[in-house]
Amino acid sequence: MTLGPQSDTAPAPLRMLILTGIALTVGGAASMAAIALVDLVALLNTVLLVEPRARVQWESVPGLVAVMTILVPTLGGLIVGLIHRHLSPAGRPLGPPDVIEAVQFHKPLPELRSGLVSTLTAALSLGTGASVGQYGPMVYLGAIFGGFAHRLRLGVPNLASIAVSCGVAAAISTAFNAPIAGVLFAHEVVLRHYATRAFAPVTVASVAGYVIANVILERPALFRIEFPGVAHGYEFGLVAILGLFVALAAIVFMSLLLAIGPALAQRIRWPEARTAMAGLAVGLTALVLPDVLGIGTSTLRFATIDGAFGLGELIVLIAAKIFLTALCIGAGFSGGAFSPSLLIGSLIGVLFWTLVSGLAGVPTSGAAIYAIGGMMAFASAVIGAPLTCILIVFELTRNYDVTIAAMVAVVFSNLVSHRTFGRSLFDVQLARRGIDFSLGRDRAHFAALKVVDFLQPQAVTATADDRPADVAERLRAQGWREAFVLDAEGRLLGVFSPGAQEDPPRLAQGLAPARLVFDDETDLADAMERLRGFVGDAVPVVCGETGRYLGAVSEADLVSAWLDEGARLRKEENASI
Amino acid sequence: MRRSDLVLLMVAMIAAPARADDLTIVSWGGAYETAQNQAVIAPFAAETGLDVEVVVYDGSWTALAERGVPEGWDVIDMLADQARVACAQGLLLKTDPGALFAPEALADFTPFAPDGCAVPQNAYARVMAFDDRAFSGVKPTRIEDFFDTDRFPGPRAVQRSPDGILEWALLAEGVPPEQVYGLLSTDRGLRLAFRKLDTIRDDIVWWQDPATPAEMLADGRAVMAAGFNGRFFDMAQRERAPIDIVWDGRVIGIEVWAIAADTDAPDAARAFVQHAADPATMARLATQIPYGPTRRSAFDRIGINRDLGVPMRAHLPNAPQHVGRALVRDSGWYANTEDLRQRRFRDWLGDDD
Repeated sequence: MTLGPQSDTAPAPLRMLILTGIALTVGGAASMAAIALVDLVALLNTVLLVEPRARVQWESVPGLVAVMTILVPTLGGLIVGLIHRHLSPAGRPLGPPDVIEAVQFHKPLPELRSGLVSTLTAALSLGTGASVGQYGPMVYLGAIFGGFAHRLRLGVPNLASIAVSCGVAAAISTAFNAPIAGVLFAHEVVLRHYATRAFAPVTVASVAGYVIANVILERPALFRIEFPGVAHGYEFGLVAILGLFVALAAIVFMSLLLAIGPALAQRIRWPEARTAMAGLAVGLTALVLPDVLGIGTSTLRFATIDGAFGLGELIVLIAAKIFLTALCIGAGFSGGAFSPSLLIGSLIGVLFWTLVSGLAGVPTSGAAIYAIGGMMAFASAVIGAPLTCILIVFELTRNYDVTIAAMVAVVFSNLVSHRTFGRSLFDVQLARRGIDFSLGRDRAHFAALKVVDFLQPQAVTATADDRPADVAERLRAQGWREAFVLDAEGRLLGVFSPGAQEDPPRLAQGLAPARLVFDDETDLADAMERLRGFVGDAVPVVCGETGRYLGAVSEADLVSAWLDEGARLRKEENASI
Repeated sequence: MRRSDLVLLMVAMIAAPARADDLTIVSWGGAYETAQNQAVIAPFAAETGLDVEVVVYDGSWTALAERGVPEGWDVIDMLADQARVACAQGLLLKTDPGALFAPEALADFTPFAPDGCAVPQNAYARVMAFDDRAFSGVKPTRIEDFFDTDRFPGPRAVQRSPDGILEWALLAEGVPPEQVYGLLSTDRGLRLAFRKLDTIRDDIVWWQDPATPAEMLADGRAVMAAGFNGRFFDMAQRERAPIDIVWDGRVIGIEVWAIAADTDAPDAARAFVQHAADPATMARLATQIPYGPTRRSAFDRIGINRDLGVPMRAHLPNAPQHVGRALVRDSGWYANTEDLRQRRFRDWLGDDD
């Protein structure tokens, strides 16, 4: 499962050419697809009166705007739910966790059709104003282009994983006009190692995305920040405290997001009814609080203006946005958590600033620094990519002071959220699927190998009625010292080792309980941990449900598998080209 | 205009019975129309031999609806947003831009290409200008300075209208130009803009006639003014008043040529629009008055104004060498928010008068 495509390796210069070609192709395609997605969403937002500038055009017909505000997200939810149910084999939106899983374990992405459907529903979700983000779908769309490399056999080890990471980097680079952040995101979140073989093409793809978005098509950044600087030294301390506050809010948001999905699934049977209901909730809230609609580009801008929000207004808006985003994603709208995180975080930053500067009267250098710090602190806790978030600030503002301030906020927020929740929303979602990165990449890889795949065919079994001498003879023939004794249903009764004491007349009397038993769920990481201090030939493996004996694994085989996998990871993580 | 078109047109003209006036062009009057006549209309009449009559109107689409048919209007000089409304009302003749211009020419237009109803012809701007005598040391350089009465005290001349000043208020709050109209579309954005206006409320002297702000600067009634770049140019260059323009935050408006739906001379009208949108014609106009061309290639042809001896390129609102923020007046937004803007502006004014 974890062995990559290990076809014959091409010579180094050829590998270099192949990797560069793949990086440019995937990077360019991912970048243009990301731009197309953004444009499609903008078009839908205009036509469906989600965007403020489109809504104000119909200001003279107030009933129309109100009706559209309720109908558009509700019907959008209904359609998204129906499409997922009937057209997508996966039956759900796909996102960064699926990309991480594919890249880490060198598996193909989920079928292309599910991916395309997920992109379509993301455009619909975002286009109809659901409170979800665009970056998750952009990342997945970029990954799809890289995923095509899975079919290629070009003699470059792990080519597909590298190509997928290229698509991811180009998508982020395009989205934020931030090529450095694109490279870091692909490494921090997706690849989780820094081998040159991956780093070089990912960088090329990220730059290709940047060139297409900025130089050829001259696209404006999704948001632009001008920032004068940090006026007082103690403000770095203030943003550290802000980071701690933001982490708490991020933990509430992520826990809510993870809890709402199952809770809704229990209560509402039809998936399309769940999304329609979430859309209705967004529409009704937007009647009084239009800021919750969609991506909230205007709201993000307001957050950088001193005094754009009153205190009460801010608290209501933060709570509404947290709840609605968790609801929309939990209910099954297709979209990410990153851009809502940016918005929620910046609003919390502004709230903090309002309290500190307005109520406590501490002189500060304006709302913008707290908005940006809060924004990145929240987002980095959610996506688990502190370096990426710091670099995004740097690339968007080109301002050293604000980057340092944001870095402080990010670090303190990550400290708390990592400690109490987990490294990121993605990692916790993956952990729930049984892929646990909390103890590192290698541990997750060892955990993905099941001992049941290493059964030793020569293991000797016996039944309780066998004669000890016969079993001893068979053991001698195989060169084993222990036999596994089973009952009539094939369940493990114990271990028989001849010569330990006087051989009994019947095997059943000379049985020792097995000192260690694995089941079919036991993974390599777990097994190695439990093998500590174990003496013996082999460990029996039984079916977890029925208790039936499946076979035995020898200690030597497990150690070899451990060493092989470790060597493969080391090779991947240190490959030059 | 291409020579082949010209020949065709001549043939058409000879074939058709001659009328008292072959083409009625509608414009704004004043110095603008004089320059337009010299640079655009007279050369066209001379080239084609057509009898061209020029009519003056107030620039509103309602005037077109009322007077267009009785007075036989053919080609109208309009603001882009008024043309949008007129187009939506069916008052303008729809023409495929591809039939009027070659693809290279269409790509040459800036900031936007002709649409079915209107062909961009020149660019003017609402700009901030100041009396140099009022600030002996540091001069205003940014739109923020218009709202900074501590560093730059004194009365500000502002049009008694929400147009332009709301954009400035948000620019001064640090909103990037591309987001200004999006934010002004929200209640929160309007509130913030009027909050910014509150900071200079006591320093505003209102004007209604576009000629006034330049006069106010010249005679000392105001130290800073919001107004049209052409008026400030005239005051500074022709009257030698010590007025300087701050190009940061300029709100560029586009004037277009449009053809009336009920024109009785559609071929001559199209020929005129093609002639007027030629880079050489645009450059000729921009050399006489500071209205920038709407085609990039025209900038290369702009030289010195012979009356004043002033190189004109530096005085055009959309000249590529200007730094600072520029905003293109969003004609779609303007076309549909008239009531909202006026209502909110009156409410804000109502606070004290």
